[in-house]
Amino acid sequence: MKRLGFGVLALLLVALPPLLPERHLATFVLLTLAAAVTVGVSLLMGYAGQVSLGQASFYAIGAYTAGLLAVHGTPPLLGLLAAPVIAAVAAVLLGAPLLRLRGHHLAFATLAVQLILLSLLAQADWAGGAIGLQGIPRFSVGGFELRNDLGYAYLSCGVLAIALLVARNVVASRAGRGLRAAATSEVAAAASGVAVGGYRLAVFALSAAFAGLAGGVYAFYLGYLAPGSFPVLLSIEYVVMAVVGGLGTIAGPVVGATVIVLLVQVLNTLGTQPGMPDYAPTVLNYAVYALLLVVCVLFLPKGLVPALDRVRRGSLDKARSIR
Amino acid sequence: MSDLLGYIVTGLGIGAGFALVASGLVAIYRVTRVVNFAQGAFAVLAAMLTASLLGSGVPHGVAELGGVALGAITGLLVGVVAIGRPGTSPGTSLIVTLGLGVLAYAIEILIWGDQPRSYPGVPGVAEVGGARLQAHYLLIVAVTGPVFAVMAWFFARTDLGKALSACASNRYAAQVVGIDVRRMGLLAFAIGGALGGLAGVLTTPVQQVTFDSDVALIVNGFAAAVLGGLTRPGVALAGGLLLGVAQTLVAGYGGGAYQVEVALVLMLTVMIVQAARTGPVAETAR
Repeated sequence: MKRLGFGVLALLLVALPPLLPERHLATFVLLTLAAAVTVGVSLLMGYAGQVSLGQASFYAIGAYTAGLLAVHGTPPLLGLLAAPVIAAVAAVLLGAPLLRLRGHHLAFATLAVQLILLSLLAQADWAGGAIGLQGIPRFSVGGFELRNDLGYAYLSCGVLAIALLVARNVVASRAGRGLRAAATSEVAAAASGVAVGGYRLAVFALSAAFAGLAGGVYAFYLGYLAPGSFPVLLSIEYVVMAVVGGLGTIAGPVVGATVIVLLVQVLNTLGTQPGMPDYAPTVLNYAVYALLLVVCVLFLPKGLVPALDRVRRGSLDKARSIR
Repeated sequence: MSDLLGYIVTGLGIGAGFALVASGLVAIYRVTRVVNFAQGAFAVLAAMLTASLLGSGVPHGVAELGGVALGAITGLLVGVVAIGRPGTSPGTSLIVTLGLGVLAYAIEILIWGDQPRSYPGVPGVAEVGGARLQAHYLLIVAVTGPVFAVMAWFFARTDLGKALSACASNRYAAQVVGIDVRRMGLLAFAIGGALGGLAGVLTTPVQQVTFDSDVALIVNGFAAAVLGGLTRPGVALAGGLLLGVAQTLVAGYGGGAYQVEVALVLMLTVMIVQAARTGPVAETAR
């Protein structure tokens, strides 16, 4: 069953981009990148039991790493490879003190880290300051340059595939079992010999690496970065996607990101219809995130994927009992 | 020297705003164990309503009271959604209030647009020991002091306040003696809303308010409240004032660029030190 799901997803990721019209391709790229970041958030929240409200800061670190390196003449491939590494290193350095914190303390700490980063970026002239970093070249390997959106669509698909694959293997590993144990009871896990602190830091770094890699692609795709591209709301969006899809599931982040991005897209189209006031898209956007988050947390606490699983299993059982 | 005094009084004014937000957080956290992320939204909504009321000719005083009342009502509504469903864990409630804070953005833009708003406060310039500063800062300090005094009296001397404190110290025991813990939680949310609203109403004349000012307010408020472990209003007041003064001093002497970082780094340090003291493994008693 799991294999089948992955196969279908892979097929979709390969087959879908060429069929999409140009204007939807941009949405597709941003959607896949968001899904890749959300895989990390879901891993962190679902398996390590920690809320991060600053995941966009690692996205920003990855983007700025790739962007700055490329602007200064480093081959783009090297820049893209450096993005997750630098993001993970930043996560280890930040996580060592911060991951002592739990629950709402950690949520506020990660939020604070992002606010500090944004404020520092806005003052850093070497990174373009508040105006932003301009003139990032397009992504290229050897002499081959990615010019159109289709190429970036496949590049971001690759990023998502890597994130999913790594996440699946981590979850299935010994470390993954240890983490799940620690999320239920830290004391019991520690007493059974799980290196809780180390594992937790590793997952934090891993989720940052996913975000950094996605951020690197984002930098090459847009060619322009500014502190304003990484608002606190972006971090909250990742949490919403993870929660809506279902924490601690592998398919959850993809489902959550897809549902939310499509919904936002539909509402955007609706909001920009003639006759609608010009604030309509923003209002609808905020309202969707807010309502989805609240409704999901209160009524579907495990998210969409487990809920759908339950419904499907329920109907299967029913079919069997009738027979 | 007169510069220094000016900075300190201005800082106390700004810090009083943080302290009010912080005390709202503390009021809610003590009783419900929920960190209310929508606390900043109360301030923004109250300030926006006050600006509208003043704009349509309602006199000063009445308009401000209207803003605070809206804060209290919003607080109650947030409380109903966040803790109204039995069995909602504090962690879940935190995420719910986060969602409600974002929902407040939608409502604020819908009604008031996304432009910054302000309204005139106490006009003119005051002189304190040779330092010149906006007179409105003195009003903020003058209102905040009595508000904290009334709160201290309320929590220690009235039946309702004692019931709230009882829930704060032991929920189970409070239930046993017949206190409706859920209703007390909702009351705490309403009080928190009113305090948040008061913060917004008081500080808007000196600091413009936009729909997303709530992030700065909630972070500063949390930073102030966390000093007292989120449970001691007195420490939250001291923390807020300290933060305000520290920020104005940094802005005044070090160039304005780094004043955001002061609050944030202070908050991170305090939390990490507290965590180190209590030990790395904090298993909550169930």
